[in-house]
Amino acid sequence: MGDLFNGYSTGEFFDEMFAAPGQPHPHYQRLYERLGELSRADYDERLRLADIAFLYQGITFTVYSSQDGIERIFPFDLVPRIIPQSEWQLLDRGLRQRVTALNMFLHDVYHEQRIMREGLIPADLVLGAAGFCDQMVGVDPPGGVYIHINGSDMVRDERGRYMVLEDNGRSPSGVSYVLENRSAMKRTFPRLFGRTGVLPVEHYPQALLETLRSVAPRGVEQPTVVLLTPGVYNSAYFEHSFLARQMGIELVEGRDLIAYDNRIYMRTIRGLQPVDVIYRRIDDAFLDPLAFRSDSTLGCPGLFNAYRAGKVTLANAVGTGVADDKAIYPFVPAMIRFYLSEEPLLANVPTYRATEPSDCTYILQNLDKLVVKSVNESGGYGMLVGPHASAAERADFAEKIRAKPRGFIAQPTLALSRHPTFVDGHFEGRHVDFRPYILYGSEITLVPGGLTRVALRKGSLVVNSSQGGGSKDTWVLDE
Amino acid sequence: MLSRVAESLFWMSRYLERAEDVARIIAVNFQASLDAPDASQALAWEPVIAITGDRHMFTAAFGSFDEASVTAFLTRHPENPNAILSCIGRARENARAVREQISREMWEEINRLYHVVYGADVDSIVRNPYDFFSQIRNGSHLFQGVTDATMAHSEGWEFIQAGKYLERADKTARILDVKYSVLAGNTGGEGAPLASLQWIALLKSCSAFEPYRRSHSQLQAWRVVDFLLLDRTFPRSVAFCIEQTRRSLARISDSPLDRPSNAAERLLGRLYAELTYLDIREALADLHIYLDDMQHKLNAVGDSIAQIYFVPSVLPPTLAAPSRYYEAQQQQQ
Repeated sequence: MGDLFNGYSTGEFFDEMFAAPGQPHPHYQRLYERLGELSRADYDERLRLADIAFLYQGITFTVYSSQDGIERIFPFDLVPRIIPQSEWQLLDRGLRQRVTALNMFLHDVYHEQRIMREGLIPADLVLGAAGFCDQMVGVDPPGGVYIHINGSDMVRDERGRYMVLEDNGRSPSGVSYVLENRSAMKRTFPRLFGRTGVLPVEHYPQALLETLRSVAPRGVEQPTVVLLTPGVYNSAYFEHSFLARQMGIELVEGRDLIAYDNRIYMRTIRGLQPVDVIYRRIDDAFLDPLAFRSDSTLGCPGLFNAYRAGKVTLANAVGTGVADDKAIYPFVPAMIRFYLSEEPLLANVPTYRATEPSDCTYILQNLDKLVVKSVNESGGYGMLVGPHASAAERADFAEKIRAKPRGFIAQPTLALSRHPTFVDGHFEGRHVDFRPYILYGSEITLVPGGLTRVALRKGSLVVNSSQGGGSKDTWVLDE
Repeated sequence: MLSRVAESLFWMSRYLERAEDVARIIAVNFQASLDAPDASQALAWEPVIAITGDRHMFTAAFGSFDEASVTAFLTRHPENPNAILSCIGRARENARAVREQISREMWEEINRLYHVVYGADVDSIVRNPYDFFSQIRNGSHLFQGVTDATMAHSEGWEFIQAGKYLERADKTARILDVKYSVLAGNTGGEGAPLASLQWIALLKSCSAFEPYRRSHSQLQAWRVVDFLLLDRTFPRSVAFCIEQTRRSLARISDSPLDRPSNAAERLLGRLYAELTYLDIREALADLHIYLDDMQHKLNAVGDSIAQIYFVPSVLPPTLAAPSRYYEAQQQQQ
């Protein structure tokens, strides 16, 4: 049996599924047996059906480089990633601890700035961060919450230890794939679910709505919640409309909103209707042309004033980018100790900051071993994977780092864990990461699951959809 | 309901109806042209272009009115905004813009239909027109059925109905206008058998042949006009479509049918009264003028609906589309 796994090699990496060739970890045993019953033809057929379903449901992202706006489905791999309950418990506790500390950090930097005064984080690093918003100093967001939705990217090293690779505290995307992948798996392998003890994820939109309602401006009993999207041209538009539909709230664009007397209204066929909570999927700079970029056509003039007056909630708050700045990231363990007096439950990846002279020298001397990241980019852009880069690319990055040290950090090239992934008719190991979503309102909520992204190109460490990544369903087991 | 959402639902529905109507017109013409002598091929295909009203654009791009050129122009010519692909593409873009408002089944159907049309090439359509145009007609019908069965029949649904029936009233009037002027004065003598085939084709273009047959034993010009214009029960007659649009608008504004609350309702009420009390001989005196006037009034209804429901009361500065487009792509983490 296990025809499709013939010749599968775990290599020198931690393999999510196999302890040794032919020996799955206990929590993968049942899946391994089921896959072993499938022939190549069975598997191909199931994959084809899943792909057609994704295409017809429009679960696509748009590649805008070509004139046509070609739509591609986010490649979906049918073999789920499985996380046993014991591992999930650790992640759950660690992520709660982390999001709490990040929120306390944001409150602190926009108020007393204790952490800088006590010398734990250099003040210039914080105040010089592109995500630091000086208009937010002294502003009290409703409920005191800044990061309502956090997506921390987790990876595992060669020993299988979970580490936080980065935090996404502005407006993390991808959760719709968590739900759609699950629904695709249920259609494709219906019999597998009941017997395996997979915890559900389908209540995420409800949990998100409750989180958003819990942070409504003071005195609003029945808040009107809306989702603010940049519009149909945005590559995550599918997700925006998906979440709005699942939550039963209006999906608005900036041009649907109007500010009057420090309140925000939406234009309806019956006139103006007040809005209390805005789950915005637009970057800070575009929110309000009066407060930020004056050339923005996506926002609503007057929105920031209404926000500062406490008449409307923005989720996430304005100015959270300072907390997920990659140069601030190395200090998150220190934040946890400082604000919570606890030891961090989840480790960071060792990070070199180009602003530190000794670190900078080390980075420049070891570019062929390190991964260099631009501090404010996401989506796999602005990144150098040293061992895979050409000499010319490395020289180019060295130049950039020397010119602007604040713009870069470097990390050792991790031996990321791998997961069996269907490639050309059989399974091969491919590197994966994991993005769980943490909701922070009047309480903290984690839905047991998340988005497992997989780097489909052989040997590649970059999992982003724009860089040839795919995704898997993620199963958290009840035991 | 957001004004923008109402507008998108209305246009989604109009574009889909337009695609279906164009598909039906071409399909019927393929059937009818099989019976026509070779020499009259151009005669058979030219009016089809006249119905969609894009004659200039056609002659600029194609040399002759043969079936392949007309089919290419009306199915997927990139510059023809009324080509089927373009209509379904725009219906889908509107649906995408209000995706959270429509049911998942509706979205899947319109998206599937788009991929069917997008994947079809003109050669295979001309080789097997029946299959292709049936798929479009069935797709549109399926979409309407799914809409009725899966979406709440509230305001949004009423905007969808209004868009569909307003478009349909316009298309029936156009088909009648163009075909009638070709056929008029050609009802006896040597051309008679060919003419009656054309009358049947006209009815079939509106899916009206069998319903007509059930209520009339004779194929007569004035009866055909009367049926397509005034029949109270046939769902593609102009009077029926106007009545449905009127009822939808009254439900949206929540006002009784005889107490119109806005300009669109008043216009529709007058149109409906006119058709109700029309003596068909008056219209036949100069049918072209009559139908032309009808189409102007239908356009006025559309403009009026836009003024009342879609145009924001306080206008934000309108900015060039490319910058919105560019900015919108950037927001992603």
